[in-house]
Amino acid sequence: MRTELTTRAAPAAAPIAQKGPFMPHAIIVAGLRKSYGSVQAVRDVSFSVRGGEIVALLGPNGAGKTTTLEILEGFRARDGGAVDVLGRDPGGKSGARELRERTGLVLQDIAVEPYLTVRETIARQAGYYQAPRAVPEVISLVGLAGLERRKVRALSGGQKRRLDLALGLIGDPELLYLDEPTTGFDPAARQDAWQLVRQLRAAGTTILLTTHDMAEAQALADRVVLLNSGLVVAEGPPAALGGRDAQRTRITFALPAGLSVADLPLPADARGGAAVIETTNPTEDLYQLTSWATHRGVALSALTVDRPSLEDVYLQLTRNGAQPGAPERSTR
Amino acid sequence: MTAAALAGRPQHRRSNLGLVTHQVGYEQLSFWRNPQSAVFTFVFPVLFVTIMGALFGSVGKSSYFGGLSALQYYVPTIAALSVLGSCYGQLAVALATRRQNGILKRVRATPLPAWAYFTGLLAHCVLVSLVDIALIVGVGGLYGVPFPSQWLAITLTLVLGAACFCALGVAVASVISNAEAAPAVAQLVLFPLLFLSGTYMPIHSQLLNQIAGWLPVRPFNEALTGPLSRHTGADWRHLAVLAAWGAVGAVVAISRFRWNPRPE
Repeated sequence: MRTELTTRAAPAAAPIAQKGPFMPHAIIVAGLRKSYGSVQAVRDVSFSVRGGEIVALLGPNGAGKTTTLEILEGFRARDGGAVDVLGRDPGGKSGARELRERTGLVLQDIAVEPYLTVRETIARQAGYYQAPRAVPEVISLVGLAGLERRKVRALSGGQKRRLDLALGLIGDPELLYLDEPTTGFDPAARQDAWQLVRQLRAAGTTILLTTHDMAEAQALADRVVLLNSGLVVAEGPPAALGGRDAQRTRITFALPAGLSVADLPLPADARGGAAVIETTNPTEDLYQLTSWATHRGVALSALTVDRPSLEDVYLQLTRNGAQPGAPERSTR
Repeated sequence: MTAAALAGRPQHRRSNLGLVTHQVGYEQLSFWRNPQSAVFTFVFPVLFVTIMGALFGSVGKSSYFGGLSALQYYVPTIAALSVLGSCYGQLAVALATRRQNGILKRVRATPLPAWAYFTGLLAHCVLVSLVDIALIVGVGGLYGVPFPSQWLAITLTLVLGAACFCALGVAVASVISNAEAAPAVAQLVLFPLLFLSGTYMPIHSQLLNQIAGWLPVRPFNEALTGPLSRHTGADWRHLAVLAAWGAVGAVVAISRFRWNPRPE
């Protein structure tokens, strides 16, 4: 994936009509509702995605992610609420083709026909767009260079997924929906895909992503919207989700032989053979602890310093009734 | 992006015809690369007419075959069968499978208009049907069936029949919810209809023929038999019945067709 993306250049006297005033928001969702029979899949979802931003929709299965995504993509009618995608209502009939011209999507399923080659599959899709990216450019972007003539059915699962990604990119979308884009990737392929997503952002593409991979959300997303039971339970930058940044830091180490927690310079809990210190002032406390250890000549083996991970916060917020950890961040 | 980035790239708003040609080209490529579809579509009807020729090639004109020789009877009915297979059968199964795999959803997410997608499929099916008919007429010729002369009427009947059975195929694909059931449902509907319509042997019951005359297969058989074996022109009465069925299929297809594998 060495190809560089060209940054969207400033307009030089555009030959076609301006499509509307500059919009800071690519997506605005307000009070979205959708039921299937008696099941309320989406009860009240509001969030927005600014142009050029990467936002991750997180949540357990059945939280309403796919339904929300399908309403945004225009595949599903909503029961209530307002949706604006690139200045248009995706549920409206007028301008649907223009909206599809400007959006790309990568679905959860690997949806490619088996008997065409990689190049043919991409070229076919390119023919549907008014101003597609060049086929060879996209092939090398997704890391399929050298496999242009390979039949799709001879590709590995990960390679098919890359082809899927290529089909989402070929139309040169302003807005890209990625539905669990790296499921089934090996770690190296996943890193490549992340690199590609960052390149796309750098080139100005807005991305709405769903994933079950917390590391992915952490690595890529500017903001995370956490759904549970059809509601937004938390929203914010991954580092601060659910008040994660304000929560206590945990210092853990193996209790040195012959010592009890009472001998330590700081209040600590003994858990198994380990000492655990929870603190709001990790810098000061670590200094105290390590100076004490150096003076006493004891080793603090297995020393770790951590804060609740995104996954901890995710589990905390999506389990049992889903009480938002930090109400001020919730957008209910 | 809007106007800014679009301006930076080569613009090519394809003409509608260009879009359909693009679509037909890739449908054809995909079709010919798939050994299974090619075999079922071409080998089966050719084998069928060859076997019929070997069995009944010497049976001359008889009242049993409505005043035709056995092969003059079978060439049009097998030709009709091949069109049914490549339009109705293929589409019902292929579309149900494509929907289940998410391929239809992906197509729907592109700017390709729905009408262009379906026109492409129809044109593809007509092309395949043309090859089928040419092969069957060719084999018939080897057994001494005189070559038809009414090519305009044949083409008209073929295109109308293909359109009708494409619409019915899309309609069946719209009604079926999962791809595994598609081949079974498509064949279950078709098989009794073929027997009833005299595809495999002439039916001499007035009542059955009257019933079958209002169903889609027999009118197509009749409409093809005229120009293929009797050297008559277009059979407007039967073509009208076909067109009516095509319209019914189209209405069901348009109102029930789903692109999304997940039901609403």
